Amino acid sequence: MNRDALTPMVKIETVVAGRDAPAVRELIAAAGATGYTSVSGVSGLGHHGPHQGRLLFNDHDTLTLLMTVVPDEQADALIYGLRTLLGASSGVMFVSDTYVSRPEYFQ
Amino acid sequence: MTRAPAGLTSPAQARAILRADVTVAARIVAPLWPVETFIAVNPLGGLESVPFATALQVAGDVLGARGTCEEPTFRAMHRAGRIKDADLHQALARRLPVGLLSSVVRLGALRLTAMELLLADLVHGDPSPQRVRSAVTLSQRTDLPMAALVDAQTSKWCAAYIGADHIGWPMPGREAGLYRAWAQLAPLDRSLPRRVRRDLAGLPTRADDAALAALDRLGVEPAERQRYLRAHLAAQPGWAGHLRWRAEHHGDVDLTDYLAVRLSYEAALLNVGPGARRPRPAPTATPTTIAVSRATPEQPEEVARVQRLVEVLKAGPATTGQVAAGAEVLAQLPAAARTLVWLDAFEGHYRDRLLHLLTAAEAGLAPTEIGLRPSAQLVCCIDARSEGLRRHLEATGPYETFGFAGFFAAAIAYQDLAGGRPDVSCPVLVAPANRVEERAAPGTGAAAARRLAGLAAVAGAEAGFHEAKDDTLGPFALAEAAGWLAGPWAAAKTAFPAVAGRWRRAGHRLLAPTAPTTVSIEEGFTLDERVLLAQVALTMMGLTRGFARLVAFCGHGSTTSNNPYQAALDCGACGGHRGGPNARTAAAILNEPQVRTALAERGISVPHDTWFLAAEHDTATDRVTVLDGHQVPPSHQPDLHALTTNLAKAGRALAAERCTDLPGASAARPGRAAAREAVRRSGDWAQVYPEWGLAGNAAFIIGPRAMTAPLDLDRRVFLHSYDPAIDPGGTALETILTAPMVVAQWINAQYYFSTVDPVTFGAGTKTIHNPIGGIGVLAGPGGDLQTGLPRQSVAVGDRPFHEPMRLLTAIRAPRHRIDQIIDQNPALRHLFDHGWVTLAASEHPADPWQRRTPTGWQPWTPDGLPDSRAARRTLAQSPHPRPISGADFR
Repeated sequence: MNRDALTPMVKIETVVAGRDAPAVRELIAAAGATGYTSVSGVSGLGHHGPHQGRLLFNDHDTLTLLMTVVPDEQADALIYGLRTLLGASSGVMFVSDTYVSRPEYFQ
Repeated sequence: MTRAPAGLTSPAQARAILRADVTVAARIVAPLWPVETFIAVNPLGGLESVPFATALQVAGDVLGARGTCEEPTFRAMHRAGRIKDADLHQALARRLPVGLLSSVVRLGALRLTAMELLLADLVHGDPSPQRVRSAVTLSQRTDLPMAALVDAQTSKWCAAYIGADHIGWPMPGREAGLYRAWAQLAPLDRSLPRRVRRDLAGLPTRADDAALAALDRLGVEPAERQRYLRAHLAAQPGWAGHLRWRAEHHGDVDLTDYLAVRLSYEAALLNVGPGARRPRPAPTATPTTIAVSRATPEQPEEVARVQRLVEVLKAGPATTGQVAAGAEVLAQLPAAARTLVWLDAFEGHYRDRLLHLLTAAEAGLAPTEIGLRPSAQLVCCIDARSEGLRRHLEATGPYETFGFAGFFAAAIAYQDLAGGRPDVSCPVLVAPANRVEERAAPGTGAAAARRLAGLAAVAGAEAGFHEAKDDTLGPFALAEAAGWLAGPWAAAKTAFPAVAGRWRRAGHRLLAPTAPTTVSIEEGFTLDERVLLAQVALTMMGLTRGFARLVAFCGHGSTTSNNPYQAALDCGACGGHRGGPNARTAAAILNEPQVRTALAERGISVPHDTWFLAAEHDTATDRVTVLDGHQVPPSHQPDLHALTTNLAKAGRALAAERCTDLPGASAARPGRAAAREAVRRSGDWAQVYPEWGLAGNAAFIIGPRAMTAPLDLDRRVFLHSYDPAIDPGGTALETILTAPMVVAQWINAQYYFSTVDPVTFGAGTKTIHNPIGGIGVLAGPGGDLQTGLPRQSVAVGDRPFHEPMRLLTAIRAPRHRIDQIIDQNPALRHLFDHGWVTLAASEHPADPWQRRTPTGWQPWTPDGLPDSRAARRTLAQSPHPRPISGADFR
């Protein structure tokens, strides 16, 4: 697929405990990101063993996946903030290059 | 910790790192819900990912908090027999290797085992040094009046900003947020010196930039920043906790705003930074202790402890080698850790007896008569107070009772007939999934209209009264117009609270007579959701067969007067609201023919003659009110009549039982007089002990009622019904452990910390509480928002009523199933493996209890320890255990 017509951006994904999700959302907003996608109750296997997915009556202790896309010039600040947060919390962060077709949505 | 190299961070990066630092630092304060929907939380919940002992060290360092009772308190309990030597033996055996404990040391003429030496040190050792708060702000360290001024100024503006929801004179510029509104107004505050006002007038427009600038002026290095921010948050944990809650639930303010205000005040008041009067002193101090031990730089602490024991035990002259050997033993238990052994022993005394009694009681039960249908089944909340109602109802006849979280699986936003803002009536761990409205029952529109008109009139009168009180000149006119009535009414409420309460209720009934209503389940839920709710509720509590003709879901609430902490007495599973609406919702769903049909397809056949009913237990009066009684078919009216009669009888017996503990209530009151006394206290606006709430809570039992039915558990145990046989996959157990048990642990921790350190974690005495709108209370005219529970919720005067113990969770289920659930839920691993909750399990009634430890499951009481043998022998001699009273556990 030809990506010439697309605009390069940075995609930042984090998986954190539900109780830490508000802090990640605050960092995303403070970094100037225009939006994010949040999926609560994700399951998987990680450094600390298996993690159950959605619980019937507890959104607080399940894992949440938060994903945002920002222009390159905003990415570093958010990455610094998230690394500081994850330095004192369980959770992971993935940073990757990505392309978008409507850059005005992300600026 | 990854940080940008100094000088290389952009402003945006510095702001992002600061916000992350604030988030990490904020773990030292728990979110503080508005008092009108009080939610019990673990004050150290942000530290649950570390072991309990470590969390206590952090709390001592940052908050200056005490994490357990003090040694003199434990020693007094030891002298009184509440803690036995055998309890201490077991606690030491759980902490230290058996090989060490059985080793022998000589001290002068004495020959002691290490166990005996450690026991002597626990009982006779000099009190361990008290750790004092070491994480302090610069102003707290160098200029206490300035530190107090920072607190006072910040409190003032927080109250103005947050309280604006409840007063008619909002803070100007509030819509711009706390920091920006404050930054506009603070430079105009003439209570501050001109220099400070000038300083504040030059603040940046962004809160994060202001906080960074102030940290720089105060000389806080990046590596020290989280610790310094913690110290500021810990200075007023009430405001910080409430703003944390507000940030997470409303999003109109955050802790960066709050800290920017505090740090800017501190920098300006201390006049530090470039060009300022003062140099920048180092912002932190090293941890300090109040040294009361005999330890000196030349003499290690353990040697001093041994010499103390030589004196106390009158051992005679001890050689240097003997002292050194003794010191080596005592070094295994630092003096600062002794209170943790005492706590373990204190908890062990209760837990050992509880588990032994559970085993004995179940073994002594007569076999259930097959085919005998209970007169009715009552499903109560797991709340420890329900245990009393269940026990007394079962004593009246062949009733069967169950325990289930009091929202009955209905996570709803509920709007009553009068309309207004819906109540979020579900555990705070979830968001409400469905909206339920109260509506006039079919054909009763006129009655509903009359009630609505009456409610509107009452609400209008109350609103007018409060508006007049809050107005600038209104109170003068109000006093003229209504003073002649208000004075005698206040006198009547004070002198004759029961009579005044009857008049008030009668007046309310006259103005707004009750009308038959229903709840809107069909609009609020899809059919699939209703079926799922029904299936989940019945499966989780193990009620999938053997239904009675009447099954009552019994929620609970508490009626008290002039009590800002009313919500703390309502149902925690309903978000601090009364549980009636949730009971009505669950009952209505289970009476639906379509739901019954779908349940039958899923293997749960509810007989056609079973009717689900809603009720509500008032825990202050012990009256149980049947809700939606007009919907009960005529065929079931005799059953309902019998049930209500026996619930009234059970309520009177429970009131009499509670009166023995309530300060000022006569212990000798017979049933009806006790019931009247409970009602009188409920309506007494001067009564600070309307009920004890969940004081005394100590354990959470998950299993069938047969485990506990013969026992009087003294309203100290959360009871969740569970049948492992119908939950082979463990789904129901996982839900119980991750939701009701988590809420119970929050409640337990709130009571625990409010008792062991009421100054740091409690809300002080009710007698000086000053409510601010619905958000919280101050102790007097200003200062910090009070956190935790009032003193009158956990103690009488200086004497604690609540026994501060961490939660014991006892489960009837296969251990491999429990392990599997814990392994895939990190939050449970933290609770059980870090010492916040102790876990016991037994798969079958005859199986001995096992304790989950970091190294696997172990017998609850290791063989060879004296108390276990004695307890077993005592119980074995009694094939039919005597009735157990609450005193057995105290």
